Amino acid sequence: MDNFSALLEGFATVLHPVYLLWALFGVFIGTAVGVLPGIGPAMTIALLLPLTYSLEPTAAIIVFAGIYYGGMYGGSTTSILLNTPGESASIVTAIEGNKMARAGRGAAALATAAIGSFVAGTLATVALTFMAPVVARLAVQLGEPDYFALMVVAFVTVGALLGSSVPRGLASLSLGLFLGLVGTDTLTGQQRFTFGVPNLADGIDVVVVAVGLFAVGEALYVGSRMRHGKIQVIPVEKGWRTWMKRDDWRRSWKPWLRGAAIGFPVGTIPAGGADVATFLSYASERRLAGKERRKEFGKGAIEGVAGPEAANNAAAAGVLVPLLTLGLPTTATAAIMIVAFQSYGIQPGPMLLQNESALVWALVASLYLGNLMLVVLNLPLVGMWVRVLRIPRHYLYAGIILFGALGSYALNFSPVDVLLLVLIGLAGFFMRRYGYPVAPLVVGMILGPMAEDRLRRSLAISQGDLSYLVTSPFAATAYAAIVVLLAVGIWLKRRERAAA
Amino acid sequence: MRPDDAAPEAPTEPGEPTTETGPPTSDTLQQGPAERPRRRWGELVLALATAALGVYVLVAAGSITVPGSANTLGPRAFPYLVGGMLVAAGVVLVALVLSGRAGEEEGGEDVDPTVRTDWLTVVLLVITLVVHVFAINVIGWPFAAAILFGGAAVILGARPWWRAALAGLVLGLVVQVVFGGLLGLSLPAGPLLEGVPFLRG
Repeated sequence: MDNFSALLEGFATVLHPVYLLWALFGVFIGTAVGVLPGIGPAMTIALLLPLTYSLEPTAAIIVFAGIYYGGMYGGSTTSILLNTPGESASIVTAIEGNKMARAGRGAAALATAAIGSFVAGTLATVALTFMAPVVARLAVQLGEPDYFALMVVAFVTVGALLGSSVPRGLASLSLGLFLGLVGTDTLTGQQRFTFGVPNLADGIDVVVVAVGLFAVGEALYVGSRMRHGKIQVIPVEKGWRTWMKRDDWRRSWKPWLRGAAIGFPVGTIPAGGADVATFLSYASERRLAGKERRKEFGKGAIEGVAGPEAANNAAAAGVLVPLLTLGLPTTATAAIMIVAFQSYGIQPGPMLLQNESALVWALVASLYLGNLMLVVLNLPLVGMWVRVLRIPRHYLYAGIILFGALGSYALNFSPVDVLLLVLIGLAGFFMRRYGYPVAPLVVGMILGPMAEDRLRRSLAISQGDLSYLVTSPFAATAYAAIVVLLAVGIWLKRRERAAA
Repeated sequence: MRPDDAAPEAPTEPGEPTTETGPPTSDTLQQGPAERPRRRWGELVLALATAALGVYVLVAAGSITVPGSANTLGPRAFPYLVGGMLVAAGVVLVALVLSGRAGEEEGGEDVDPTVRTDWLTVVLLVITLVVHVFAINVIGWPFAAAILFGGAAVILGARPWWRAALAGLVLGLVVQVVFGGLLGLSLPAGPLLEGVPFLRG
């Protein structure tokens, strides 16, 4: 098993004391920012990216792994302890966990979320360890039209499944594709949509767009309709020994495992990522609960926290499979991660495991480690997260704007990027206000140029014969899968609406 | 999605004095019928802008130079596709808005769905950001950051203003030391702090 020894080598790298400290730092800062209300995993990563700019690649990747898992996890604390629902991935947790906290069982809800995230995250990371090399081997055999088909799948699922309105998703996706067009065409060297501005010849930086949409757009939108008055955080009982009673363990362990089993596969396919996984887990826990228990759902059932939280973290690991092996981002968070990797000089894709093997296994090893640190860190530190939740909102959003501006400025140390950030932030504000999802824009902007490249290469090989795009068995299957995914997506949305 | 018991937090007392910036509370009582047509108008503009951008992309794509050697799919094809998608989405959205099916605005932990949009806050925040942009190269990053943080906090309701300004100044200097001095980002310290060695990137 050469993969196993490669993983051990990865651990050997990560267990170096300096790197351990970096990992701890990543997990801590990722969770702290993820806990902040109004900040989802995608924004956490976009905001914290400048922290890693000046680190060497290994340290950067280790910090980054911690930020990713910490950011994915942090939201659950927010939704359990705060009165209002948090980011989409943890909305179902908000339903059950918040009710549990109100009933004085907040500690149990937090503990089952933390331990469940650890269990499922570890299982999913094991699955990632075994699956990534296999998928990478298969990916090498894929041709240009196959990659194009995969990207079309991602466009369709991200554009149509996220958000409640298909035309708005399409508009957002197309806008992202347009922003991706700005700059110099890679194949012919022609300038496109640069308006004669020299700064635009290299294209618009994705970090500016992501930070503008997620951070500045969100701050402007919240500012326009700020919730005033006292911040209500539900108090948590002291003493971690009594957090989970024997009965809680008994009711939690099966949902954790089921959540992992649902979350990982859903994360690996381009089907909407963690949101879909948590919802599926919640629905299945509710169905599997006995008659007595089912009545508790909606009033604070621990299964309804344990399952979805586990699924959320398992999906976070699943998303890394297509990301690392195919270079295919399936969620907005993954799209920003691709940008992060590129900024470290790493190009995710089928060759990554061969070319940068040491770095990839260091990343996987730090995922294991980050998961362990999360559970060790989060249970005792709940008191601190509660204080984080109480940060006055005017300072919180002022800080978000400041760090967004810093992140864009630090790209090239040019004020022009910050000006662009303001424009994109305004666009993000109007999109939020009128219900346009912002995630498809980011995914479209990153995947668009890659898809165009694949399409044109395919047609250059086939000398313009369009049928070449669909004749390979893999591509044909992918296009068939789009039809299936759309049907499933519509069905899921109906169910979600019925459940809400 | 919002738990129904979260509703009582909304400010419902008419004429209740608020110390924070924000819409007068009496506005919240008369939303509903008064607000709908306005919201639809703004949404229509956004849908039309989407379609207009699509038309622009389609037209501008025609003027992209195609080198003679490009055999099959040149640099124009994908822009045409994107322009077409923008126009299609824009037209459908215009139709949707005109038929009264408005979009669901986004929720959030700190968003109060019952208050009207406070445009003044948005405009002031954007102005603060623009001031920050032009201040960076003149007075240095830490002070530009202080303007941005302090300004945004006061606009969003921080009182008293000098505490927010002080917090901004401290934050700006701390970030300058950590990112500029320790992590090596070359943030310009500005003429005032030019000679201080540990602030340099």
